[in-house]
Amino acid sequence: MQRDVSSYAIAPSVKVKLLNAGFLSAADLCDLRPLQLSKEACISQEEAVEVLQAVRCEPGQERAAAAGRLTALELLGREQELGAIVTFCSALDMALGGGMPVGKTTEVCGAPGVGKTQLCIQLSVDVQIPVCFGGLGGKCLYIDTEGSFLVQRAVDLAQAAVEHCGLLAEDSEQQEALKGFTVETILSNLFLVRCHDYVELLAETYLLADFLAQHPGVRLVVIDSIAFPFRHDFDDLSQRTRLLNGLAQRLIQMATNHNVAVVLTNQMTTKVWNGQSKLVPALGESWGHAATQRLILHWEGTHRLASLYKSPSQREATVPYQITGQGFRDAPPSDQPKASDDPSVRESGSLSKRPRMEDDQSTRK
Amino acid sequence: MTTTAKMTENGAQLFARLEGRRSLRDIEPHIFPDGAGPIQGDVVEFHGTEGSGKTETMYHLVTHCILPADRGGLEVEVMYVDTDYHFDMLRLVTVLEQRLGEDAKGEDSGAVVEPEERVRACLGRLFVVHCSSSVQLLLTLHYLENTFCSRPALCLLVIDSISAFYWVDRSGGGESVAKQEANLRKCSELLDRLLRDYRIVVFATTHAIMRNYGHSAQADVAAMTPGLSEPSSSSSSWRQWSSHASNFDKAYLSRAWQRLVTHRVLFSKGEVTKDRKQVFSAACTTTSTRGTKCSSFYVMGGGVQFL
Amino acid sequence: MVVLRDGMCPGLSEELVEAFRAADITTVEDLVSSDTEDLAQKCSVSYKALLAIRRVLLAQHTAFPVSGADLYEDLLSSTAILSTGNPSLDKLLDSGLYTGELTELAGGPGSGKTQVCFGVAVNISYQLKQSVIYVDSTGGLSASRLLQMLQAKSCNIEEQMEALQRIQVFPVFDIFSLLGCLHHFRCVGLQQASAGGGSVKAVIVDSVSAVISPILGGKQNEGMSMMMQVARLLKTIAKDFNVAVLVTNTVTRDGNGQLKAGLGQSWSHVPRIRILLQRLERPGSTCSSVRTATLAKSSRQPCHLKEEVDLQCWGRSEEQLYGMSGKRKLENTEPS
Repeated sequence: MQRDVSSYAIAPSVKVKLLNAGFLSAADLCDLRPLQLSKEACISQEEAVEVLQAVRCEPGQERAAAAGRLTALELLGREQELGAIVTFCSALDMALGGGMPVGKTTEVCGAPGVGKTQLCIQLSVDVQIPVCFGGLGGKCLYIDTEGSFLVQRAVDLAQAAVEHCGLLAEDSEQQEALKGFTVETILSNLFLVRCHDYVELLAETYLLADFLAQHPGVRLVVIDSIAFPFRHDFDDLSQRTRLLNGLAQRLIQMATNHNVAVVLTNQMTTKVWNGQSKLVPALGESWGHAATQRLILHWEGTHRLASLYKSPSQREATVPYQITGQGFRDAPPSDQPKASDDPSVRESGSLSKRPRMEDDQSTRK
Repeated sequence: MTTTAKMTENGAQLFARLEGRRSLRDIEPHIFPDGAGPIQGDVVEFHGTEGSGKTETMYHLVTHCILPADRGGLEVEVMYVDTDYHFDMLRLVTVLEQRLGEDAKGEDSGAVVEPEERVRACLGRLFVVHCSSSVQLLLTLHYLENTFCSRPALCLLVIDSISAFYWVDRSGGGESVAKQEANLRKCSELLDRLLRDYRIVVFATTHAIMRNYGHSAQADVAAMTPGLSEPSSSSSSWRQWSSHASNFDKAYLSRAWQRLVTHRVLFSKGEVTKDRKQVFSAACTTTSTRGTKCSSFYVMGGGVQFL
Repeated sequence: MVVLRDGMCPGLSEELVEAFRAADITTVEDLVSSDTEDLAQKCSVSYKALLAIRRVLLAQHTAFPVSGADLYEDLLSSTAILSTGNPSLDKLLDSGLYTGELTELAGGPGSGKTQVCFGVAVNISYQLKQSVIYVDSTGGLSASRLLQMLQAKSCNIEEQMEALQRIQVFPVFDIFSLLGCLHHFRCVGLQQASAGGGSVKAVIVDSVSAVISPILGGKQNEGMSMMMQVARLLKTIAKDFNVAVLVTNTVTRDGNGQLKAGLGQSWSHVPRIRILLQRLERPGSTCSSVRTATLAKSSRQPCHLKEEVDLQCWGRSEEQLYGMSGKRKLENTEPS
């Protein structure tokens, strides 16, 4: 069975001309020369060349598609190889199954000041922890759309991470690795991009593939935040949805093809539903499908909590954390529910410990 | 083309072509207005949104056609053109078995025929053909001309759905509406000739996909005359129904097709009854009668059940 | 529109095509709808030869009717019902996914669509020992989760690995690669497309909306056309290769705030069966793995059937299931 011309990535106007000239399927085009095609279909020679490339590389593309395919067993091996980026909050790491997974996209939502940017900066430092310390030894690309990235804060967190590793260093290999893990190297492996509006952001995502190809060491791409440029200056909401959906697909493709963790932050917005107002992630409900994982940071009285709202691999869970001078950390022990290996026990434990939990959960929904 | 047909025609075929085909006038008095059911040469369009009961009604009517006369059916042959890859044979057989079983209860004499055998005999009167593009549909209709010619018992042509290629054709036609509609126009012209030459009946479904922001004349008429022919539901729900239906009743297919249609049946989902049964409604307008004939039905495990 | 070219069928020479063109006959449609006798005279070709050409061309491009009785016979022998491995879902689906049909799971973010896909894939590959094709457009496929589900079913590592090998993953990220991928299945057949043992019984696409929604809207003809091509291919694959096709879709709210499947009216006609998944809005159960599944479209069962589906069901052995239900009872009895 032949593939229809209309299913190829060809400009719509050219497709119409091809169809009008009676070229319905790939087979009708295969034996033609560009000159012949441009004459018969009344298209320019350049267009004809493009069409033939699109159609002819098809068998190759199909082979590529076949090469891109793998069994779930091979995928399992890849997932284990890629690993995850630790957050320095062990409860959150456990909930995430080891940290922010590489090769997936994760959305971090939360109200202003709850610690989204802190988490992002923490991750951009942690991704660089040397392999012999159990890290990834990777680099980070940080796309800042709000102007909220503070170099001084990055220096603080880097300093804390270096000291932390210094305490852990035991054998000579780790001592050696520490020499290459300093505040200076951390900052020099953190690429910062500032985007001022959604056009710049979209343009940057188109350039990302090239950047990642040139810098194969990059394991983390942060966009802080995705919401800011898209929440303003948009009259046509369907246009916004379309752009965002396309952006999400490109990011997922990037995460998969270049083995990077993509972390996006999103703001919260108030939604009135049945007379009740509640905080929900911004950018609309359809955006909720965009990232593979969704983490919601929220306040619970004076405590900060992180809820894993959706994840293909982990159970949903809510864990406490705190922001200290050193960065993103576990909540102090007095604040923490009993640690347990069984997540369901942990959940019920947290429920019983926090009588206010329910009110909070229902308003958050 | 007609020349070939005429050249290969024998007396029986000529008879079939001119006289022999049965009328489907009484196929379902619930849906069609009294005495105005589809007769030879008529085209019925079934229009509705997803889940409004079109397909179930179609199975109900097809079953009635292929059932043997001694089971209350019309015992005629049906050609089912499936353009959506939507046809569900298992469902049709369920409906068929239900009808066969129902009628069998009423009689206690006569030779016992295996139920499986009877189902198969009925299905022998049904032909199914899948089409995957509007070009193929057109050429298939050309091809089917011979079949119509040689099978006098073939009375009904079902096209489910005639709107299947709408988007692909629109995109393929570019800016020109004439080109967008070219294939459907040719199909309509061919159907027009087939209807005249072979006196068949055509049932076609169209998916309601276009929102109609203005009020159509039909819906207005229906809304103004709530008591006209809707005995079983209150006028308020009827009005609600018609306002809902008018949202999606826009006829968007080529004018050539619109001209062929003699009966138009609009389907919509009604309310859910207390015992959690979904009520469906059908409103039929024809070119030969005035007003709208409305009917309501449930869809049960064994098929359509009129209220 | 199929343009006439020489060599399309025996007897259709270059001169004849030229002659047809002079008589304003350029396509197969033109030829079959023209008056053969008249045309034979115009193009000075024998009536008989022209009739033969016409017949061959028509046979090449038409679809052929099949008797309903034969079709039924084929279906009876080939249709299989694949259990999803989840009793409440099977109840909604009238005992499982039917081969030859397109089933849709619609739901909001975090409603468990992907988990259901995993469960179905694992059940078919492990319990039924058949292959599954998993087209992943969201990057959501997690092999470690699949392994978790398998570990609950079997302690035998070899069996787990075999089951994982029977799940073929095809990552696609845009509409063109999805179309290319589906065409590839259609051309080479599903059995060749999958390398693992067992025959392919299910194709899962998670999710169709992720690749379709970026192209909808605006000048929508092109996008709608692409969407309908995807729909047609999926349905053809389901019918021709006799496999169950399972796709996932987003949801939107209609004017009354009711949830309905995404991608609009035209797509709504496409799936044969549609199940709507929702998070359970029950106080204190935000972290629960229980979802409500509503049958939104079916030809076999009354719609609006509702079931509670526990997503953990696939990841738990019998023993754990029992243990967990005990725990949940405890949770419920806690004062709230």
